Amino acid sequence: MSQRTVLAIIGAGALAVIALWWDTTPSASGLGGWLTGAGEILGLLAGYGVVVLVALMARLPPLERGIGTDQLARWHAMGGRYIVSVVVAHGLLILWGYAVEAHTSLTSETATLLTQYPDVLMATVAGFLLLGVGIVSMRAARRRVRYETWYYLHLYTYLAIALAFSHQFAVGASFVSNLAARFWWSAMYLTVAVLVLWYRVAVPLRAFARHKFTVIGVKAEGPGVISVYIGGSHLDELAAEPGQFFRWRFLSRSLWWSSHPYSLSAAPGTDLLRITVKDIGDHSRALSQLRPGTRIIAEGPYGAFTAGRSERGVVLLAGGVGITPLRAMFSTLPGPVTLIYRASSEGEIVFRDELDAIAAARGAKVYYLVGSRAEIGGDPLSPRMLRSLVPGLDEQEVYVCGPSGMISAATEALRGAGVPRRQIHFESFEF
Amino acid sequence: MRRAILAVTGTIAGLVALLSFKSHDPAVPVASTSGTSGGSSTSSSPSSSSSSATTVPGEFQSTTGTLTAGETTITGHVANTVYGPVQIKLVVKSGKIVKVAVLEQPTNTIHDIQIGEFAFPRLISETLAAQSAKIDAVSGASYTSAGYINSLQSAVDHGL
Repeated sequence: MSQRTVLAIIGAGALAVIALWWDTTPSASGLGGWLTGAGEILGLLAGYGVVVLVALMARLPPLERGIGTDQLARWHAMGGRYIVSVVVAHGLLILWGYAVEAHTSLTSETATLLTQYPDVLMATVAGFLLLGVGIVSMRAARRRVRYETWYYLHLYTYLAIALAFSHQFAVGASFVSNLAARFWWSAMYLTVAVLVLWYRVAVPLRAFARHKFTVIGVKAEGPGVISVYIGGSHLDELAAEPGQFFRWRFLSRSLWWSSHPYSLSAAPGTDLLRITVKDIGDHSRALSQLRPGTRIIAEGPYGAFTAGRSERGVVLLAGGVGITPLRAMFSTLPGPVTLIYRASSEGEIVFRDELDAIAAARGAKVYYLVGSRAEIGGDPLSPRMLRSLVPGLDEQEVYVCGPSGMISAATEALRGAGVPRRQIHFESFEF
Repeated sequence: MRRAILAVTGTIAGLVALLSFKSHDPAVPVASTSGTSGGSSTSSSPSSSSSSATTVPGEFQSTTGTLTAGETTITGHVANTVYGPVQIKLVVKSGKIVKVAVLEQPTNTIHDIQIGEFAFPRLISETLAAQSAKIDAVSGASYTSAGYINSLQSAVDHGL
């Protein structure tokens, strides 16, 4: 599914929700009517929005394949901020609107709603949970919160959605007297719940039983960078492609409770996979302690960052540890390939021997652009530099992987070098 | 940041547009259908004073009520509003409305109940003052008012 299709479906759903409100509520009159009406619309949108946000993260194959996990995560983050704001506005507007219409003060209206209506009380708790998760996620985006904290707090959103469900039917003007609306609304929630359970729980467990993922060994690739070799059976059935990643849950005492996305750093074999991880958090550090024989629950393969054949040639542009998926693509892509590897220091470069060997074997070119901007004298990823390294650059497909800052700089430089937008593919390494 | 501003202004504009398209006065919000319409009964047994433990003079809550000599009750028909049915009962003495009871009112949501708590006492006071169904709607409770007036009108047509 293309981005446009998915956005159109989400938009059509939102319009249907507004139509439901339009159909089921009488016309607004007076200040109280306006406030309550706005609160109702926002409430319905929030009830719909949380379902969409969960669905985006439900690992649905058409979405993972067509849009890509990093793009889905960006939509989820953007939509999440919006929906949390909508939830807060919904609560405040309803409170204010009811107080105006009941001719009471805000405080007494608050007390009435919270003490007389248990559904509303639960929904209020849910609202605060969502607000808390939203704040923590924004802090996590700025790296002030550990990944694990962020991950586990996020699970509270399921609780919040469950807590907030009953008040929609118990007091929601669009639902109390509309059985059909209740039916379809429940069906929407149920469908997404089933999809989440299926793709996030059942499918990984089935794959675990079938493929028996096991740690074979751990190898140091450079300072703070390790590769984990993973064995298993029938791995060809996974149809994983270079450029894709799995979510790995290592079943060791310290790691079993969370799963992390890591890209394949070599072409997948029938009984062996390799991931390469840079030491950036507690989790990646703990990986170096993995014992051979540790079992793994792996979800995947995920990711739309895969390359097809291109006669005119392919350019792979890696920034730092973003080399990992590109390394896998480098050895398998058919046709002419150029690899440009940007690193801030010699020590940061991993796979140098492998890359040189692959380049020699297939007659491809590798360029290492090493050094900080100050040392080199400007950003080496300039349109002129790129054009001089790759003749006919504007005709080629370009795959960029690295930290998000590097990706935006690279995209800008590529556009400056005349590469059309549709030929630039990228995956941000941090989501 | 620009996206955030866009999202906020877009949402507000959307809400205002939706609400302003919807905010006209309810034209004919009540479709009256009922099997229990317009019945009247005359009190046979004279009894002691009516129990009026209510805050609003002239309002009485119990559906049966106790009637003093010469009082008659007239039940209005059920007026269905978008929020739910409204039905009233009048107590009439020598051609004058002396009490109004609300037999049925919308109670689907908190909102409905609160609006009823606010609106019915006012509507009843108005009725007692006007002695007819020609009363003003309570602002902020237009549908409930329309349902009340509709049921009241049927009772008045039937009995006064």
